[in-house]
Amino acid sequence: MAQTTRREVMALISGALAGVTLGGEAFAQATPKRGGTLRISAPANPSSLDPATGGAGSDHAFLFTMYDTLTEWDFETLKPKPGLAESWSFSDPTTLVLNIRSGVSFHDGTPLDAEAVKFNLERNKSDPKSNIKADLAAMDSVAVTGPMQVTLKLNTPDAALPGILSDRAGMMVSPAALKASSAGNVTRTPVGAGAYVFVSWADGEKIVVKRHEKYWKPNRPYPDGIEFSIIPELTTGARSVTAGQNDLIYQLPPRQKAIVERVSSVKVFNGPTLYVFQIFLNWAKPPFDNLKVRQAFNFAVDRESFVKAALAGLAEPAYMNLPKAHWAYDKSVAALYPYDPDKARKLLAEAGFKEGSVIEIVGYNDQDSVQRQEILIEQFRKVGMNIKFLNAPIAEASAAFFGAEKRGSGILAAWTGRPDPSLTYSLMFTKDAYYNGGRAPVPTELDEAIKASRASEDVEVRRKAFSTVQRLVMENAFVLPLAFQFELVAMNKKVQGYRPNLLGKPKYDDVWLES
Amino acid sequence: MARRSPVRVIGGRLLQALPVILLATFIVFALLKLVPGDIAVTLAGDNATDARITEIRKVYGLDRPFLVQYGAWLANVVQGDLSQSLLTGEKVATSISRAFPNTLLIVIIALVLALVTGIPMGVIAAIKPNGWVDKTVSMVASLGVAIPGFWLAMILVAEISLKLNWLPATGAKSFSVSPIEAIRHALLPGIAIAAYGMAEVARQLRGSLLEVLSSQYVRTLHAKGLSMTRILWQHGLKNVSVNLFTIISLLVNRMLAATVVIEAVFAIPGLGSLIVRGAIQRDFPIVQGVVFTMVIVVILVNLIADLLCAAVDPRIEQ
Repeated sequence: MAQTTRREVMALISGALAGVTLGGEAFAQATPKRGGTLRISAPANPSSLDPATGGAGSDHAFLFTMYDTLTEWDFETLKPKPGLAESWSFSDPTTLVLNIRSGVSFHDGTPLDAEAVKFNLERNKSDPKSNIKADLAAMDSVAVTGPMQVTLKLNTPDAALPGILSDRAGMMVSPAALKASSAGNVTRTPVGAGAYVFVSWADGEKIVVKRHEKYWKPNRPYPDGIEFSIIPELTTGARSVTAGQNDLIYQLPPRQKAIVERVSSVKVFNGPTLYVFQIFLNWAKPPFDNLKVRQAFNFAVDRESFVKAALAGLAEPAYMNLPKAHWAYDKSVAALYPYDPDKARKLLAEAGFKEGSVIEIVGYNDQDSVQRQEILIEQFRKVGMNIKFLNAPIAEASAAFFGAEKRGSGILAAWTGRPDPSLTYSLMFTKDAYYNGGRAPVPTELDEAIKASRASEDVEVRRKAFSTVQRLVMENAFVLPLAFQFELVAMNKKVQGYRPNLLGKPKYDDVWLES
Repeated sequence: MARRSPVRVIGGRLLQALPVILLATFIVFALLKLVPGDIAVTLAGDNATDARITEIRKVYGLDRPFLVQYGAWLANVVQGDLSQSLLTGEKVATSISRAFPNTLLIVIIALVLALVTGIPMGVIAAIKPNGWVDKTVSMVASLGVAIPGFWLAMILVAEISLKLNWLPATGAKSFSVSPIEAIRHALLPGIAIAAYGMAEVARQLRGSLLEVLSSQYVRTLHAKGLSMTRILWQHGLKNVSVNLFTIISLLVNRMLAATVVIEAVFAIPGLGSLIVRGAIQRDFPIVQGVVFTMVIVVILVNLIADLLCAAVDPRIEQ
């Protein structure tokens, strides 16, 4: 196929000013073709294939193939759009009406109607093993108000719900399959209404799905099936693609880009995501109980050079918790903390911070994490802050910082985005949230602002509400955002139609294979 | 002293193995509980509150005392049930029976390669000690011991898979479905592990063979007019075979351990990758199951080696 060369493709991508890549469609000139098996190298074994009982952000790459959601997100902006619910409306601020698409059935033939939706939402809200109860906290009850209509009664206005229903909480599982299971879940026997039907799952080895022949979206999906090989070692996974044993690998670390690009049969896509490297702060204990120290911390980092040095330039400097492409991004908030070492020194002096005192920050002990730490240590040294990293494996480090131990004053980690930004803020910046490491109180106006961000469904109103939320978070400097990592996906040139998305969790909706 | 029947010997040895199995699984269980990190946090999902994590501990029985949890696991094992992964619910026995053949095939290939290269090297070196052959063998053997297996593995992949495209770079195939494909996938990892084994076999064999060849009865055999070849094959190798069996049993154990790293490099879903995943996620039934299997394998290998030694050398009292 006479196609644009990789160089041109890359130029196209880097030329997209807003930072949003054009995705596959811009240069896939041929008509999509059915057939073939898409072979994917996946970095982690899923925690479960039941959307309600699983917990890892890495599960979505599998779940999205088998489960369709009530709403879907727009690839570029993450605005919710119709999915299994063909429309929705708030009849009043605490009543959400969902109109379900007709003619859709689960893989086992069970019709997807109002009863099925009610069954799923109630299960997600109340099953003891459900991990998404909190997502539906605002929902009091679900009523079937028509064969294809459900009405959600809320205990508080929650405009975030349509966005939330594009994630786990909106993934519909066949009620018949759930009722048939003795354990009450479909962890190992998923039955959804998605584009692909589950075939097999060998833990840590392989997940196989095949085309759902009665899928409701016309002509989709194109491939006959997908085979995920689970390869936790990303270097090995990348090698499986360059050697032609797999067609695609996602979540590649930036340092792999140059290596895979040397192979002529492989093309690389990238685009911004909500995945943000940041230092979570414990503002219940010194030195970050002092606002000026927290602000100094934010002024001390040169995010541009951090992105260049630590992430091979494949990231967007982060000055707040949303990237430029997001619908609720606010330019003026992003301008609050330019790189200003003098200002940082001044603030530290005002705070009575003794130059050179040690600040202990928890970190991860893998190679990439340590490299990021070294760059930050150097940057903080320039303003007289002496950072000492306490490193441990991911599970241990996060439990030590966020759990009962309260190790360190901060943790260099990352935040994976949520489809609706209100979740991001309520999970980190409310008093009892797990990701508020110190469980320290936040200003009442921030609590109010987070509530207000859920009160109206009007996008303009919500955008303003999020500006307030984000401004309060950053003025209080409760966090040190560093960089939004780009999604980096390498694939065989015969893979067409792949589009990166802002959530950074791959969806293969329009992917097809050239023979 | 009357010799005991082999059945009783084997039975006795297996009985002795019981406390070893108990102790090993108990220590590993204790280690998993002692190290920080908690599967309840993983189970509770990305956005869990403290209350939710406490609730999860209750739902999954992780709040029970340490000994009770170990006891529950052991009670299941006695009934032939290795229980299931806390995270994904897959039966541990299923995971192991799928992973074990992959690991076994690599170890067998590595062992065969180590023996067919190591034994001739050791013999040739011992026949003319300090000659140039011997020196070359010594050097190769030192290299084999010194080179890290994972480094050799990466070099092999870069050259043989990616450049020459002779063998697959990653993954494993089932031996029962396609033996040839299975061996093709296991060959590079096998070679990577075999390097150390070859060196070890060559060095040890050379040492013990030299000792035998310089003994008095060999001088007598020479005097009788026996050819060097006959002395070597009929007397020399028979006498060093006890050493050889011991080396092999130690090697198998070492190779099993080496698969942990090698399987990661080649993305082979074997016992090594299984135990790493279990340990990282603190999914203790998986770790316990793999340790249990490994301990049994090691005990069996040692038992077979001992029996073989006794068979070739009547002096060894069982």
